[in-house]
Amino acid sequence: MKLKLLTAALAAAALAFTAAPHSADAHGPTRQKITETIEIDAPPAKVWAVIGEFHDMSWLPPVEKTEGTGGNVVGAKRRLVLQGGGTIDEVIAKYEPEKMMLMYRIEQVDVKVLPVTNYSSWLTVTPLDDGKKSEVEWKGAFYRGYPNNDPPPELNDEAAIKAVTAVYKAGLAGLKKKVEGGN
Amino acid sequence: MPHRLAAHLPRPAARRLRALLPAALLGAALTAAPGARADEAFVTSQPAEMLSIVDLPTRKVVATLPIPGKPAGIAVSPDGARAFVTSPDGKTLTIIDAAARKVLHRVDVGGGPLGVAVHPSGSPVYVADWYQHRIVAVDAASGAITGEVKVGDSPSGLAVTPDGRLLLSADRDSNQVSLIDTASLKRVATVAVGTRPFGVTIDAAGKRAYTANVVSNDVSVIDIPARKVVATVPVGDHPYVVALAQGRAFSTDQYASTVTVFDVTSFEKLAAIPVGDYPEGIAASRDGTLVYVANWETNTLGVIDAKTLKLLADIPVADGPRAFGAFIRRTGP
Repeated sequence: MKLKLLTAALAAAALAFTAAPHSADAHGPTRQKITETIEIDAPPAKVWAVIGEFHDMSWLPPVEKTEGTGGNVVGAKRRLVLQGGGTIDEVIAKYEPEKMMLMYRIEQVDVKVLPVTNYSSWLTVTPLDDGKKSEVEWKGAFYRGYPNNDPPPELNDEAAIKAVTAVYKAGLAGLKKKVEGGN
Repeated sequence: MPHRLAAHLPRPAARRLRALLPAALLGAALTAAPGARADEAFVTSQPAEMLSIVDLPTRKVVATLPIPGKPAGIAVSPDGARAFVTSPDGKTLTIIDAAARKVLHRVDVGGGPLGVAVHPSGSPVYVADWYQHRIVAVDAASGAITGEVKVGDSPSGLAVTPDGRLLLSADRDSNQVSLIDTASLKRVATVAVGTRPFGVTIDAAGKRAYTANVVSNDVSVIDIPARKVVATVPVGDHPYVVALAQGRAFSTDQYASTVTVFDVTSFEKLAAIPVGDYPEGIAASRDGTLVYVANWETNTLGVIDAKTLKLLADIPVADGPRAFGAFIRRTGP
């Protein structure tokens, strides 16, 4: 299970208090994008009710706690506290309930927690089967964790894609479980 | 008449039809409309590793050309004969016969080639090395490296003055623009600008340059002869590069998903036009009536009316269009 990689990374993060901070805006040459989708046996409104609550990301397995302020509007911020003590600070970039679309960005994350920089993400719900079911699409765009040339393997483009893909797969599975379990 | 039929079909259909025609008829079809071929956009798609060639009047992709190494930067020669594409991951410059859609040379420039500009005479080609903080000059015909000059940290956008005398480099991580004398390939001045300048654009008169400053969310306007900033204009979140048309500047705002437009005389903001997500490369048509914008996230080339400031169309292109540089190709006089 790819989740193991994530939890291993998180465990490493707990130990790596002395990791050198990166310049907040330096980045590699090639922005990456990935998309994961899942079908959920529930109407879109029910799925959106979960995704659209920015200050509760309990459906993403490694998240222990979501701390935040500002409601579900552009500019609202949250901090995901992960198992092992890593944190991810995020901010809403677009919030469009009529389209059931949430876009947010990572403002601050240690590359030991998630090996990416300049990360943006989109969550969108679309109806399936005349609105009886839903499809959730989770898109991400980001640069690798290492801003300079010839990155080490744990911070290269492949590592970034692998890590975010693992998060999305685990998150969508967790979302499906939460929504369908609540039926 | 077969050639008339072909002329009225969308280009891909016409191409398929031509493929079925005998050679003699094909010749007739090609000669039926001399000079009818119109300007094109050469759009680099980084994740797709593809160059999409868009016929601008019909707003359709008429050809694609695979380019390895995650292509990002593009510069088409002033006469439209050549296109130069940087691949930062491949550490190469690809030299393309623009009309034949054929790769002529792949030049190993090392480092992280990103920004690219062509001298108005057609050669050399200047390539910014994002990692080794230098600009490499490449002979356009042979692909030979003919020189290099050290600049500030992480040079990204490049532009040459219309008289060919000065090369400007946006030195992103030094928050400055370097001015390089092209004859001697020596740096003659630096101008401090906003925070993290990425693209640099020079006006037709060669008097002013505009940098899009990614972190300070503004555009620095440089008086080139005076070598100083004369205005700093706020634009949208994470501006990438500026295009000029109709006495207006158009900045692509990556995070805001807008193109901010301001008047280049009064510096008054005129509009923030919603476009596709993560807009990057932007360039004006040769007559200045339209502005084309590559939307990296949405995989489209947006078409903006430079007078009404309305988005007219979105043309689908290959995944992850960047088109960072002079990507409009002249096909006629």
